[in-house]
Amino acid sequence: MPAPLLETQDLTKTFPGVVALNKVSLRLHAGEVLGLVGENGAGKSTLIKILGGVYPPSSGRVLLSGREIRFQGPKDALDAGIAVVYQELSLIPHLSVAENVFINRLPRRGVLVDWRRLERMAREVLAEVGLSDLDPRTPLAELPIGVQQSVEIARALSYRARVLLLDEPTSSLTEPEVENLFQILSRLKAQGIGILYVSHHLEEIFEITDRLHILRDGRTVAVLETASTHEDEVIARMVGRDLGQVLPEQRGQPGEVVLETRGLGDRFLKEVSVRFRRGEVVGIYGLLGSGRTELLKALVGARRPLAGEVRLFGRPVRFSHPHDAARQGVVYSSEDRKGENLFFGFPVWKNATYQAIQIGRFVRLGVPQARAERRAVAELAERLNLKAPSLDADVYHLSGGNQQKVCLAKALLSEPEVFLLDEPTRGIDVGAKLEVYQLMAELARAGKAVVFVSSELPELIANSDRVYTMARGRVTAELTGDAITEENVLKHCLEVETA
Amino acid sequence: MNRLRSLLQSSEFVVFLGLLAVAGFFALNSPVFLTRFNLLNILLQSSIQGIVAIGMTFVILTAGIDLSVGSVVALSGVIMALLLHAGVPVWAVLLLNFAFGVLVGVFHAFSITRIGMAPFIVTLATMAMARGLTMVLSDGKTIFDFPPEFEFFGAGQIGPIAVAVIIFLLYALLAELLLRGTVLGRNIYAVGSNPRAAALSGIRTERVLYFVYIVSGFSCALAGLVLTGRLGAAMPTAAMGYELDAIAAVIIGGASLMGGKGTILGTVIGVLLIGVINNGMNLMNVPPFWQSFLKGAVIYLAVMIDSLKNRQREG
Repeated sequence: MPAPLLETQDLTKTFPGVVALNKVSLRLHAGEVLGLVGENGAGKSTLIKILGGVYPPSSGRVLLSGREIRFQGPKDALDAGIAVVYQELSLIPHLSVAENVFINRLPRRGVLVDWRRLERMAREVLAEVGLSDLDPRTPLAELPIGVQQSVEIARALSYRARVLLLDEPTSSLTEPEVENLFQILSRLKAQGIGILYVSHHLEEIFEITDRLHILRDGRTVAVLETASTHEDEVIARMVGRDLGQVLPEQRGQPGEVVLETRGLGDRFLKEVSVRFRRGEVVGIYGLLGSGRTELLKALVGARRPLAGEVRLFGRPVRFSHPHDAARQGVVYSSEDRKGENLFFGFPVWKNATYQAIQIGRFVRLGVPQARAERRAVAELAERLNLKAPSLDADVYHLSGGNQQKVCLAKALLSEPEVFLLDEPTRGIDVGAKLEVYQLMAELARAGKAVVFVSSELPELIANSDRVYTMARGRVTAELTGDAITEENVLKHCLEVETA
Repeated sequence: MNRLRSLLQSSEFVVFLGLLAVAGFFALNSPVFLTRFNLLNILLQSSIQGIVAIGMTFVILTAGIDLSVGSVVALSGVIMALLLHAGVPVWAVLLLNFAFGVLVGVFHAFSITRIGMAPFIVTLATMAMARGLTMVLSDGKTIFDFPPEFEFFGAGQIGPIAVAVIIFLLYALLAELLLRGTVLGRNIYAVGSNPRAAALSGIRTERVLYFVYIVSGFSCALAGLVLTGRLGAAMPTAAMGYELDAIAAVIIGGASLMGGKGTILGTVIGVLLIGVINNGMNLMNVPPFWQSFLKGAVIYLAVMIDSLKNRQREG
């Protein structure tokens, strides 16, 4: 049997006080997709970062085609033919798509950049990820986050890598884009590229991978052939116990209308009329660029509406800043944890109370009462099953799922009546997702209005009492009860596209 | 135990050790250094720099910068001198001076938040404009002869301690309490760390920016008052290069130019470190050109140690 394309032997990584990886030996063969799965904090990201040259291992070896390799930094890994697409985007917003793809490698004519050739090269690479219609000169910041992720994958491909590491590549993609990605991956596989695929979505794992490598607490707990296992076994191995796939059963009782819009419009939104009731979980679904995030932002005054009105408890309101909205009980929690939600470098407890102290909670005469804050955060951390070394830990060091819980705590502690949650389960593991669903149902039962945006149809359908579909800045349908099906939702998102 | 460890790992503590080390070196090499007179003198000389550096800390915490401080200190001095000579009563002069400082801050914040200009550019422009106005108003000449109750703020003593030192320390205490203990203080850190997240969390980021630039302008006016009183004269060339010493002190004290990190305590230690180096080198008769070089080297060293420490923690 030939040497595996990529192999690790007893790979170990320790951080002060933590063993993140413990003697992990993994093999990735040419032309296969190996799924790397595990709960938050199982060591997946650490492993990817070692293979990508970001961290040096504490001990153990990495072999590429049977030869040991050592990286001084990410560039060495790229040069060796290992390209990584990370969960958090690492692109530069104000540069064009083409520049982002070929950054550090811009084609030149003399000392100047050869823009025409750059554009041609970019078009070729973009076509490989199904973005042949995208103008490579578009500034990246103008693209929705999902398209940005596709650009990032294009960049990884452009290095002609032999090994491709994908860390949660679909966390912000919509279903058609995921299908598109899988087609690309199949093509790459056929070309003999080895792909290490990290994901929390078990359906995806089962659809795309050949084998599974399961980590728990930094150790390998199983290596399985995908074809000869099933979801329950994988989950059981990941969490180390059986986990009944519980979705919230009890629903809230829809009550009075809390927040509604009539003909809301701005540069992006067009005549949006929606209403949210107490005791209800409303799902909003739309493809990228459909206006779902823009709508939520407009509702809290982070965008200025140009037309139409917003009513809170029947009275017209005009929030000029999220501050006003929070004061009146409407909060928005952004999908972009790193860019728009959390303060990296600050402790968990301060992050969790930042919104609350703006509206005078835990505050006496302009002075936040740290003791009361800590107590409240500690209680909430318990309830949300938030795992952090301590409340003083830097939120940056938490796993994605735990960071998301801090975001939820931040919204909860300001005690709103309306929760506008943008992709609250993006990039977090199965266990944490279930906890988020439970929480949304609980809030609805307690008489709150809960609105959430999701790109995952199954979760949207399972958790919504009502669904609005959006496309191109418009609400295209309102679905309730049995009408909430995958087919229906997708149909209403697409019909405007073809119309 | 944890508290002790986090204290030992804090930037402030490391700079404090540096301060002790440098002071120890001078104490061994100069018999005058450790005398009470000299130590009080260091404090006095650091106090004007310190007041400016406190204002700078607020601005740097929001990832901004204020290059105008030296010129604004000088302009404040000349404005007060002219008002006094025009017969305006001292209390009104103080009031007008502080209003001037606040106005400078408002102008900066307006340009940054409403027009969208970069702090570096705005304050670079005011640095030149204020210095120019200083020259125009004073006709390039030094102005002196002020009433004693005016000079009290810079030259007065309460017991053995100079009034300037008391103003500096009280101002530092007030600033630290505000930054550590109030919602506004926390919001300043948040805006520096992640302005978009801050706005979506309900922080009115524009107001926060107005506040920090006003604090910086006000600090310049306060420093101008103390400096003019101490010298007994308003000099159009006063406070040259204060902006660089203030920025250096803030950064030595552990703040980050990227915003969101730093304390007043750190800045005060940074100011004292620079003060001790200046004073010690004078006592040891180091030639002025070498003084500048050595001061730069110390700044480099201090920031290097902090950066290395942070890198280790990341890794």
